[in-house]
Amino acid sequence: MKLILLFISAAIVNNFVLSYFLGICPFVGVSKKVSSAVSMGMAVTFVMVIAAAVTWLIYHLILVPFGVEILEYVSFILVIASLVQLVEMFIRKVSKPLYDTLGIFLPLITTNCAIMGLALFSVLREYNFIESIFFGIGAGAGFTLALVLMAGIREELELADVPKHFQGAAITMIVAGSLALAFMGFAGLISI
Amino acid sequence: MNTSAKMIIVLTLIAILSGAVLSSWDKVTQPRIAAFRQMELEKAIAEVLPPNDSVTVKNTENFTFYVGHAEDKPAFVALQAIGSGFQGKIVMMAGLNIDFSEITGLKILEQVETPGLGTKIVTDPSRKENPTWFTDQFKSLIIQPEITYVKNAKPSKDSEIEAITGATISSVAVVNILNDTFQKARAEFAGKAQE
Amino acid sequence: MAKKVNSLKYEFIKGLWVENPVLISLLGLCPTLAVTVSAVNGLAMGLATTFVLTSSSIIISLIRKFIPHQVRIASYIVIIATFVTVADRFLAAWFPPISKELGPYIPLIVVNCLILGRQEAFSSKNNSGRAILDALGMGSGFILVLVALGGVREILGSGAFFGFTILGDWFNPWMVMILPPGAFLTLGFFVAGVNWLNERRAAQ
Repeated sequence: MKLILLFISAAIVNNFVLSYFLGICPFVGVSKKVSSAVSMGMAVTFVMVIAAAVTWLIYHLILVPFGVEILEYVSFILVIASLVQLVEMFIRKVSKPLYDTLGIFLPLITTNCAIMGLALFSVLREYNFIESIFFGIGAGAGFTLALVLMAGIREELELADVPKHFQGAAITMIVAGSLALAFMGFAGLISI
Repeated sequence: MNTSAKMIIVLTLIAILSGAVLSSWDKVTQPRIAAFRQMELEKAIAEVLPPNDSVTVKNTENFTFYVGHAEDKPAFVALQAIGSGFQGKIVMMAGLNIDFSEITGLKILEQVETPGLGTKIVTDPSRKENPTWFTDQFKSLIIQPEITYVKNAKPSKDSEIEAITGATISSVAVVNILNDTFQKARAEFAGKAQE
Repeated sequence: MAKKVNSLKYEFIKGLWVENPVLISLLGLCPTLAVTVSAVNGLAMGLATTFVLTSSSIIISLIRKFIPHQVRIASYIVIIATFVTVADRFLAAWFPPISKELGPYIPLIVVNCLILGRQEAFSSKNNSGRAILDALGMGSGFILVLVALGGVREILGSGAFFGFTILGDWFNPWMVMILPPGAFLTLGFFVAGVNWLNERRAAQ
């Protein structure tokens, strides 16, 4: 039960993009079309879940026992970067169609703060292994949801008469603000 | 030299240097960070307990009690109460009489409530004369059988507090966390201390 | 290459406006939006980022010739993460309240695309002098935007600036400005304002 709540909390109530501002770069960059937003969301969720598991193991089985928590950030970012490379190679070997859909988005993920943020939040909130993984799935789902919603709105915006100076990034921010406002309606639904 | 050997050597060197820099920096900063945490803890304990001669620490299975002594006898006890608020964790330090009957003071250490509404549990800018009125209500509050709350009215019982208008959920969360914690802590405090 | 003819002065000032990391290049948005609930937070985040950016730029421009091309990104992120840890611990030891306030957003400087971007685009190709100027310029541009955003949000959202109440009792704070939506809205208006200014300049 707690795991389900954790999932909903990470996906909707405390949405990674709209309330923690994690993963804003792809949110602005890759949210022009719904189809690419879905692929990006899937790629991020995929890496997130693996990263959640691996960083948890590293933190609790290596850093804490040896008393070298100070290496937390260095090791996390290295793990995430290598993980992204491995996942990319693995997908290319295993499934060509999957690689064609996700491939170009994978390198972008290394500097996606959502992944690093996920690893840091898991440590900070003292989640256990299973909770970390559910947190990862929830956060990934939340990221995908925000990205797809945004892409849907931006497709419509193409047809709208946006004031000249607001075109591009500015209107994206305003729309994101309205979305964030809407998501605030979920506040307090669940608290963990 | 071939490229892959060079790659490995360069990366290893960078990693070793980074490790060396960080471990020496750890030695410099760690004592200061630990000292600050200790200071904050002591400050919070001092704020929730009435004047006392000395504070000793007693650990049980789930709690750490800070026992305040007066006239050579344990007289007060402070403990942390942690639980869910409106959006996230609320962490409080509560002071009690040694027999767990009455609160001597309450301080909210951490919270992530909604700014302007739930944050009124810490400070309420709309009550200029006493912005900390919410936590102040808990002082000398009777906690048996349990703390209760009323909305939009003055408390009528010794164990009752007034919830904040517009932040009922946060107010109730504080009350529930306290009731819950006190009940569990009371049983454990009476039991044997763990070393 | 055109870069060679840039004057040293230009390497510094381009970060302030023409190539401003946030308003023009839209880099480093995550900390920009997350921490700017007050001007002080913006300043602290800006300073920490500038420290990491400048230190990593110095190191990377010095050793750029020794790093094999294939492992450059890995080397950069280790160096950046090291400086981020240094900054994080520094704040925790000497400025605990700020460290508490900014929380996990300090470690997230590691993945601030602004920093990695400058290493890849500039420090790895230029000497230390230019790299320092570039980093300080970009850092200052980042600080300016963060303090401005934090200032606007703090004034409208809490009626204060750098913690001092400046708007009297008559002012009813716009709570939304210090909540997440306010961050997006304010930045949106900032970017639109910059577009408008740039267009007016171009027209002249």
